[in-house]
Amino acid sequence: MATALGAMTHTQEDTGLWSWLTTVDHKRIGAVYTVAGFLFFLLGGFEAVMVRTQLAVPNGTVLDADRYNQFFTMHALTMIFLGVMPMGAGFFNYFIPLHVGARDVAFPRLNALSLWIFLSGGILLNSSFFLGGAPNGGWFGYAPLSSIEYAKSSGMTFYVVGLLVLGLSSLMASLNFAVTIINMRAPGMSMMRLPVFIWMVLVVAFLLILSLPVLTVGLLQLYFDRVWGTSFFSPSTGGDPILWQHIFWIFGHPEVYVLILPSMGIVSEVLPVMSKKPLFGYSAIVFAGAAIGVLGFGVWAHHMFTTGLGPVPQVVFSASTMAIGVPTGIKIFNWLGTMYGGNIRFVTATYFSVGFIALFTIGGISGVMHASPPVDGHHQDSYFVVAHIHYVLFGGAIMGIFSGFYYWFPKMSGRLLDEALGKLNFWTMFVGMNLTFFPMHFLGLAGMPRRIYTYDAGMGWDTWNMVATIGSYILAIGVLVFVVNVIKTMRKEPDAGNDPWGGATLEWAIPSPPPAHNFDVVPEVRDRDPLWYNRDHGIAPTPVPEHNHIHMPPPSYFPLIVALGVLLIAVGALSTLAIVGLGAVVSVYGIWGWALEPTD
Amino acid sequence: MAAATHEPPPHVTEHHTTTGIDNRKMMMWIFLASECLFFGALISTYLIFQGESLVGPLPHEILNIPVTSASTFVLLMSSLTMVLAVYGAQHGRLGMMKLMLLATILLGLVFLGFQAYEFTSFVHEGLGLTTNQFGSSFYVLTGFHGTHVAVGVLYLTSMLLASQRRTGLGADRALHIDLAGLYWHFVDIVWIVIFTIIYLIPH
Amino acid sequence: MTHMPQAESHGEHPPTTIREYVLIGIVLTVVTAVELWVSYSGMSFGLLVGVLMVLSAFKFAVVVAMFMHLRFENGLLWRLFSFGLILGTAIILALTALFWNDRTDIVGGVPANAAPGAAAPAKH
Repeated sequence: MATALGAMTHTQEDTGLWSWLTTVDHKRIGAVYTVAGFLFFLLGGFEAVMVRTQLAVPNGTVLDADRYNQFFTMHALTMIFLGVMPMGAGFFNYFIPLHVGARDVAFPRLNALSLWIFLSGGILLNSSFFLGGAPNGGWFGYAPLSSIEYAKSSGMTFYVVGLLVLGLSSLMASLNFAVTIINMRAPGMSMMRLPVFIWMVLVVAFLLILSLPVLTVGLLQLYFDRVWGTSFFSPSTGGDPILWQHIFWIFGHPEVYVLILPSMGIVSEVLPVMSKKPLFGYSAIVFAGAAIGVLGFGVWAHHMFTTGLGPVPQVVFSASTMAIGVPTGIKIFNWLGTMYGGNIRFVTATYFSVGFIALFTIGGISGVMHASPPVDGHHQDSYFVVAHIHYVLFGGAIMGIFSGFYYWFPKMSGRLLDEALGKLNFWTMFVGMNLTFFPMHFLGLAGMPRRIYTYDAGMGWDTWNMVATIGSYILAIGVLVFVVNVIKTMRKEPDAGNDPWGGATLEWAIPSPPPAHNFDVVPEVRDRDPLWYNRDHGIAPTPVPEHNHIHMPPPSYFPLIVALGVLLIAVGALSTLAIVGLGAVVSVYGIWGWALEPTD
Repeated sequence: MAAATHEPPPHVTEHHTTTGIDNRKMMMWIFLASECLFFGALISTYLIFQGESLVGPLPHEILNIPVTSASTFVLLMSSLTMVLAVYGAQHGRLGMMKLMLLATILLGLVFLGFQAYEFTSFVHEGLGLTTNQFGSSFYVLTGFHGTHVAVGVLYLTSMLLASQRRTGLGADRALHIDLAGLYWHFVDIVWIVIFTIIYLIPH
Repeated sequence: MTHMPQAESHGEHPPTTIREYVLIGIVLTVVTAVELWVSYSGMSFGLLVGVLMVLSAFKFAVVVAMFMHLRFENGLLWRLFSFGLILGTAIILALTALFWNDRTDIVGGVPANAAPGAAAPAKH
């Protein structure tokens, strides 16, 4: 992957390690996010394969119960917070400025800080494996599995501190992206001309900005419970474990849309270009995305139907959950309508986009099924729910991200990924994914609970568990094919040119990979599909002025210092207060230097 | 822009924004929107745990409303001095700006002093962090508000120190002080809500 | 930096005068005093909560509109802030409604945390 990193910015003169550590270039930051996110994705995949290996046969002995708990918890945390979100953030970083026609994000140094804090948090969370055991209470950390009585190892404290650190990173990145999208658009780029991908990023940014603080409060309360002996979530002294569930899911459900909306945006970029016609129903898809964002805050308790909410809340949350199926369905028809009658090029990016639509629809339909409280009572905590989330998050989010890889890799590296390997990549992943997760529907309905580390023979679960495990191996091979494809592609000469796909958005008018300043002349946007409009109306690109002095923000090492301070505070929160103090001093020094650093 | 040169100076593009609102000001307002949820979750917790304490002391036995009214007044006055500091910065009256910044910092410190006094006297009366649900939710809610005040004091102090440099706060002086003011006023309005919910509404 | 920001919003300032700011400060103080009086007045609980909510919302609005000069700003800022304000308020209302109407810890009409014979949970 290191070669990938280097090549994504090969037009830049400065390539030493220090230049990467002090970079404020959104493309370099995006490249690091993508590569780091993908490496964490491989790690989370390894954990998943271990979990499936343990469950392949009854009474498996590959992992003991405690290690199994750590693996499934870290699988979810890694995939969600360290894999999918950062790979998404990689695309956001790389393409928001290119799509809106800006030279960088609104706050380049803050962008670097988000990256370094994310990496600190990821490493911190995973270091728990070697420091007394990883988190083992599930990714939603329900009380009392997160309490000090039932989770004595420091794992769940790592969970609290790790997620606080990662949340800080996401919050800062989201503030940055929101301001960039609203306030840094090129002339003529009105909100209703923004690429749908950018609209989805805007919705994601606001979802995170408004939901992360709630999670922060819950995590702080859990920290107080575990370290300082309060009992927010412990019923023995008047606390309430259900409060944690509410707080977690007020964050957690918007978080699900944070994971899926970027992929919906990617698909909405890929399909029009590959069908050679404009997106069908642009405003409908934008408003549907915004509606998903708004409704996403009003459905959290559908995760809690079995906690005895009472009839009125059950009806309300059931209705709002079913309502959210409407805008989601609208989007599906938008994509189908975009392809209908189009001159479709079936390249790998198209395959993954179409795969996304099919698999996400399955996951969406099983989601509407357990929007009904009586049905949900049957599905709760069974493998049926595991099947549902993986159809949405793997079939949805990951397929969309892979579509984005194949679509944008030429722009980021100058090289087209191999199509033959790409098709192999798609089919192994598609078959593996369905073999792994479809049988889980049957397992769930046959009563197999999730999160059990083993099961007895003769429960009727043997066959489908074996099928699922074989499927997970095929899936893993599929992902490795992608790695091989990237390595092979990086060894050839750049062959992509500016615009291999005949794209409609601004990034395809500039070299691949783009120069540090992105645009020689800030483009003027006349249509939703600016490049197609210019092509059809014979509008030539604005000539570059002779003395084109473009001022870019200089590199800065202060983001690195502030991130170090934050990491020290986090380490101190896990060990001793003295380190917290040290971290605070380092942070304050970093922020002070940051504020006084000249940026012109 | 002022001089119609053949080539615009490079920083024109940096200052230009689509909506005409400065990027930093927009980010501050979105951040404050986020903070609404932070305090919303803390206040929810406090309200949910009302009447859930298994042992005393309970709120009506321990809350000292006269003392807290005094500290509330102090915080309110700090908002007034803050807005006057912003006024000074906007109208080029630097002496007024620095004096009012100093006053705001001192009032903030007095508020923190009141809070320290309140916390220690509660502990003496038997209400610790872990005593009951009221203690936990009270200390965590007001404690995180106090943390915000402390961060605000640091923020304003750094502004005061930076304005003492030879170059002062630079061309964006008014904006820098304004942003600090927005944060400070927000911490004040959060206290308006907390004061009503914890202290004024009898249990 | 030679560039003077002229057209941008931060180059302008709200029309409020020092005298008006001080007046607003006095109004806020008076309203706080009224709140205190209401708190001790012994009026019925429902009315008291209603009056206090209205008064503190008034103070909140005055500080946001005048001290944070939101009423003189581009309306977009108000919309952005209102996302958080409305959602935060909604979450407080939803959670308190969910928990205060929670009947799951009442078994046979007696709250589960009430010790037998105890009039109030706190009198253990």
